[in-house]
Amino acid sequence: MQIQVKCSCGAEKCPEWAIIELQGVVEVQPSFRDSLQNLQIGLLCRPSFQENYTFTVGYHELTGSKVALKKPMLVLKKIKRMNVDQSDEATSSSKVELDVVGVIRQKILFKTRPKALISGPQPAVKEKANAAGAAAQKQSV
Amino acid sequence: MMEQPQPCCKGAQVMLNLQPTSSVSIQYHPLFGSHDDLILLELDEKLLPDVLYQRVTLRGQTDEDAVLCTKSKTYSVKFVGTSNSVLLVPPADYSTSCKNSRDCDGEDYEQQIGASVIKVAPGNMELVEVAPRLDKLKSILSENLYSSDEALEKADLDSMERSKRRLYTWDDLTNKVQASDDELRTGLQARSAVEIDGYWRIVDEKYMDLILRMLFHNSVLNDWSLDSLIEDKVVSVLESDGFPRKLAYHCLYVYGGRVEEAMDRGVWKMDARRVCVHFARGILREGKRKMESFMEEWMRMIPEEMQVSFDMLEGEVLTEKLGVETWVRVFSVSSLPSTPAERFSILFKERPKWEWKDLEPYIRDLNVPGLSSEALLLKYTRRTQPKVDAEPVFTAR
Ligand SMILES: [Zn+2]
Repeated sequence: MQIQVKCSCGAEKCPEWAIIELQGVVEVQPSFRDSLQNLQIGLLCRPSFQENYTFTVGYHELTGSKVALKKPMLVLKKIKRMNVDQSDEATSSSKVELDVVGVIRQKILFKTRPKALISGPQPAVKEKANAAGAAAQKQSV
Repeated sequence: MMEQPQPCCKGAQVMLNLQPTSSVSIQYHPLFGSHDDLILLELDEKLLPDVLYQRVTLRGQTDEDAVLCTKSKTYSVKFVGTSNSVLLVPPADYSTSCKNSRDCDGEDYEQQIGASVIKVAPGNMELVEVAPRLDKLKSILSENLYSSDEALEKADLDSMERSKRRLYTWDDLTNKVQASDDELRTGLQARSAVEIDGYWRIVDEKYMDLILRMLFHNSVLNDWSLDSLIEDKVVSVLESDGFPRKLAYHCLYVYGGRVEEAMDRGVWKMDARRVCVHFARGILREGKRKMESFMEEWMRMIPEEMQVSFDMLEGEVLTEKLGVETWVRVFSVSSLPSTPAERFSILFKERPKWEWKDLEPYIRDLNVPGLSSEALLLKYTRRTQPKVDAEPVFTAR
């Protein structure tokens, strides 16, 4: 079997995607788990001219920076195409192709453990970085 | 103070171009999900153009691990998992290209502001350059050798009958063999395969023997020099002797080489080593022979104008002493597997101890990207040197 890899956006026009990488898991409160679409995860801020960023998730703040990937990363999308043989309509087979839908060259990396913000009023949408905090702590001990 | 308007307000662009003292909302994409059809592939910058301009394919049967092939190289594809959360953010217009237009055009899409995460990637694929997996090429082409029978009955073979035999076109081979096009072509050449009526075939050695002997017979009759055979003459004489044109040409190709200076006139020089190896294999096909009787028969078969030496058979035969007699038998490097672990295992089964000069012909073709032949020896053999000035001996590790 042979799977063709192609870029239907036209090579140079292949759009740039991005990655936010953080330790642990972003945990969503159970009541929101079935309707994640459009739900806010957090707020990404660039406080100064430096490429430093903060990411506020629920009551936690992560501090990180924008880094260039050592090697580029491609986003491939698996596409199944139905091939209907013109000469014999009974035989049709599906052919898989991989479409390069994006190129990733940079990510915003939060490698420090989340810092708890001093508590304020409870926000309506609660995504917790608690799990992220737990994982980070395990590694740092 | 942080809420300044962005020049571009959505997707990966806004995130990557975030201005100082500003912020952007990160949210789940309207199409957020596991998206198993979205795969991340990390690769060297130099491979990027090959991928973007459709010069790579993934090859492998469903029961094999896929490899990625460029025009000239083969890479294994490995999944590397991560314990971090990798949130994948597409460009703003990504969802418009999706098939489910209800989600894209509806209110959900309008609500999208800031940058959206489409999936949490569990890891990414990585490429590691590997040697082409050509052992399969030999085994599938050997299922059905092109023999003299087939050459004779060729005319009455209808297409039905032909399809019953397992035969492989170039496209069949690229679908079945995990190697790049260049490596596959080199592999076919190394196995003396030839394309006959659109199918890649290995010709039965006995049939090749028949053609080669007839060529030598004709060279004596017509007083041709084996250093400058005129292609047109050779091919037409062999054709009149009943051999297909293609096979006559193949015989020149397998046992000779074109004379460079006479490229346009099609002049060939027979290659003594390849001819000598061919006859030696023929003699030893039935089993091992005492050295004297082997040498006698071998010398008799080889055309007079060719220089023969036993060294030509390195990598093709092994000798062993039994009592006072030395015996010769076939042990051909081309019949051995190409993966180092399997190769060394068979070599040490054959002989527990190898001297370097005997071992070298059987491992010089091993090709492991990123591993030198010294490193291979270190990995798979134990080297001992009985005395300082003695030949080193290699045993299994
Ligand atoms: Zn593309």
